Amino acid sequence: MLNKLLFKSVLFMCAGVMLLLASNDKVFSQGVGLGAEAEATVEENIPREKALVVKYINADLDTIDKAFSQAAPLKLELQMQDRAFPNGGGSVSALEVRGVHNGSRIFFNFKWSDKTKNDRVIADHLFRDAVGLMFPLDIVTISPETPFSPRMGDRGKPVNIWHWKADWEREMDSECGFEHMEDQYPDMFTDFDFHTHPLHFHDQELHSIPLISGGRAAGNMLSQPNKGTTVEDLNAIGFSTLTTQDHQDVQGKGKWENSGWNVTMYRDLITADTNDVQFIPGVETFFNVAVWNGEEGDRNGQKSISTRWSPVKLETVKYDQ
Amino acid sequence: MTLVHNWHLGRKMEYPYFESRPKQQFAAVFNINRCIACQTCTMAHKSTWTYSKGQEYMWWNNVETKPYGGYPQFWDHKILQLLWDNGNNPMEWYTSDDDKDATSAPYGLYNSDTIFELAQTKGLNQQAVGYIPDDKEWRFPNIYEDTAASEKTNYETGPAAESSELPEHKRWFFYLQRICNHCTYPACLAACPRKAIYKRKEDGIVLIDQKRCRGYRKCVEQCPYKKPMYRGETRISEKCIACYPRVEGKDPITKGRRMEARCMAACVGKIRLNGLLSGDYTKPDPKNPLDWMIHIHRVALPLYPQFGTEPNVYYIPPRWAPRSYLRQMFGPGVDEALEKYATPSRELMAVLQLFRTTQTMFARFEIEDGKKIYETEVDGRKFEVYNDTVIGFASDGTEMVRVQVEEPTWESDEKRMVTY
Ligand code: SF4
Ligand code: SF4
Repeated sequence: MLNKLLFKSVLFMCAGVMLLLASNDKVFSQGVGLGAEAEATVEENIPREKALVVKYINADLDTIDKAFSQAAPLKLELQMQDRAFPNGGGSVSALEVRGVHNGSRIFFNFKWSDKTKNDRVIADHLFRDAVGLMFPLDIVTISPETPFSPRMGDRGKPVNIWHWKADWEREMDSECGFEHMEDQYPDMFTDFDFHTHPLHFHDQELHSIPLISGGRAAGNMLSQPNKGTTVEDLNAIGFSTLTTQDHQDVQGKGKWENSGWNVTMYRDLITADTNDVQFIPGVETFFNVAVWNGEEGDRNGQKSISTRWSPVKLETVKYDQ
Repeated sequence: MTLVHNWHLGRKMEYPYFESRPKQQFAAVFNINRCIACQTCTMAHKSTWTYSKGQEYMWWNNVETKPYGGYPQFWDHKILQLLWDNGNNPMEWYTSDDDKDATSAPYGLYNSDTIFELAQTKGLNQQAVGYIPDDKEWRFPNIYEDTAASEKTNYETGPAAESSELPEHKRWFFYLQRICNHCTYPACLAACPRKAIYKRKEDGIVLIDQKRCRGYRKCVEQCPYKKPMYRGETRISEKCIACYPRVEGKDPITKGRRMEARCMAACVGKIRLNGLLSGDYTKPDPKNPLDWMIHIHRVALPLYPQFGTEPNVYYIPPRWAPRSYLRQMFGPGVDEALEKYATPSRELMAVLQLFRTTQTMFARFEIEDGKKIYETEVDGRKFEVYNDTVIGFASDGTEMVRVQVEEPTWESDEKRMVTY
C-alpha cells in the first residue's frame, strides 16, 4: 500500500495545476474532474450506416400514432454506459425509433420494453423511467477524422438533448399537475387524525414553500410545478455539463402499455432559439439515444445507451398536386 | 484520481480532484462531555432552514445517543461495515513516533483504504463506497435516546451492580452532535456527476447549487456522514449550508462581523465553539482558539477520520466511554485528547471558558494570569486551577468577551431575602 502511494506521489507533481484552480473562487469547481472519464473510441466516431428516415406525412398530434405505423422503425441496440462515473445501466437492451414530420413539426417515437413502470420520484428510493434524444446542435460531419463524441458532446461541440420523463408525464395527466409529499405520505401531517390533511396545517406548510423553497426559488425546472411539458429541452458540451435551456420548446407524450413504454417527442422543425437543433427537410443530421430504467436505480450516467450516432434524414415535403 | 494530503490520516490519499484548500475553513469544536441532549441546537436549525414541505424529515443538525442511536438509523454501523469489507480493509493505524509528524501526521498513519480508495480497490464504478438510506431509516431521529450499552444485562449483574467509575464506565452512553462536516475532501462533492456541489474558497463551506442539482442522490449515497438529503417536494437534494449568511457577517446583530451558525449559537450546554480555522494546517495560529485546540493542543478530534474526507467538526471525546469504541470513532488521538481534557492545562481551562459567550466568531484569544484558586489530584496527577482571564477578539480586533475561569458570584444582602 505504501509502495503504491510512493509511486503515485510522482503523479502528484502535476499538482502545479492546482495554482490554476486556486485562482478560481471555488475550491473544487466545474470541469476539473479527473480520472473517471474516458475518450470516445475511433469506432464510436463512425456513425451507423442505417439512417432514420423521417417520413413526410401530413399528420398532426391526433393522427400521429397512425402515421408512425407507416414509418419504418430503426432498431437500436443499447448497452451500459461505461465511460463516465458513475457507470451503469444496461438493463434495457433495445429500442425502436420512428420519425415523421408534417412540414412544420417533427415527431419522434420510441418503444422499448420495461416490465416496471417507474413514474414517481417523490421519495429517496424512487427513480424515474426516461428516454433522452440527442442531436449535434449545428450541422456537422462525423467521422474518425472529424470526431464528435456520441456521449454528451464536447467542448466546442455542443449538443441539444430532449429528455422525456415518466414522472412529468404522470403529473401532466394528473389533476394537480404536481406530485406532493402527502401523495407519498398521506398521514404526514398527523398520525392520529381521521383527517389526513387537516386544512390549517396544510395551508401553513403550503405557504411556507416560497420561503425555503430550494430548487423552486433557484428556478430549477425539475422543482417547478405545472411545467406544461413532459420533455426537458437541454444542452451539453461534454460530461457533467447538462444544462436546462431557458426556453423550452419540446413537447411529448408517453404511455406505459404491454410491459413497455411508447413515447413520442415533438417540436417545430425550426425554432427561434439558437440553442436548439434545427431540422431542414432534405438535410441530414445525427441523433443518439439513452434510456433510463427507474426500477434499477438508473439516473445520470447510469443508463442504457447507443454508443454511436445514427443519421437522421428528413424527407422533403411533398405537395399533393 | 489524484493524490492529496489528508493530515488526519498522516498521508496522501486518492481523491478525484487536486488538493486545493480554502483560505480559511469553517470549523467547530464540540465538547461531548458537556452536552445535555436538550436538542436546542436541533430546533434552532429546524426553525431556520428546514420548516418547509419536503423537509419534514430533514435535521441538518441532530444529536444522537451512541452507541445505538443514529440518524439515519445505524448510519455509522453501515458505513463502517462497508469500509471493513469483510475484513479485507482492517482500518489499521500505525502510531509509532516514526509514523507521526506534529503538523502533517499528528495521529500517526492510517494504513487502510478510505471510502474513496476502497471504491477503487474494489473496482466500483463510482467515487466512494456508500448507500442510500431508505425513508424508514430517517424516520426516528432520536431513536435509542439515552439507551446505555453494557457488557452484561441487568439480569446478569443485578441493577446498578456495574459501577460507573472513571476512567471507563462499564455501562455507558453519550450524545453525539452532528452537522455536515464541511469536509476538506467532501465525498458528496466527489460523488456528484454534475459537479453541482462546490466548496467555497473563502471559508470552505460546501454547498449544493440548487439550480444545477438534478436529484441524482449520488451525494446522499456517498457522503459517509449522511448529511445531504433528498427533498421529494423539489425533486433535488439539500444539505447543511453552515448558515453561510451569518458566517459572512450579514446578520446586523454582529455589525458585519462573522457570526456563529444557528445551532452553535443556540447551544444550552455551551459545548460548541464555531469559527474559521486558518487555511494552512502546517502553520496553525496558536492564538486562534480553534487552531490551538485542534492542531496544537490536539484536545479535539475528527469524527471517523478513517472515512478520508477530512471532516471539519472536531470533538472532545467523552471521558467515560470505552477507549476502544472512542478510538474507532475519533482515531488514535483519543488517549492524548482525554488525558489533556481530564487535567486541563491553564490554557485549555481558559479557552474552554470562551464557548458560547457571544455569537461573534473569535479569531484570536489572549490570556491574563490570575491567582491559584484550587488544587487537587486527578488520576494520581496534581491538578491546579488558576483564576485566569481569557479575552476573545473578533477578526477585526474588537474585544468581544472577557471571562474568568472562576465564575463570579454574588450574595445578596440578608435584608433583601424576603420570605413570604
Ligand atoms: S444545544 Fe448543545 S447541549 Fe443541547 S443538545 Fe445541542 S449540542 Fe447538546
Ligand atoms: S459531511 Fe458529507 S455532506 Fe458534509 S461536506 Fe462532508 S461529505 Fe459533504
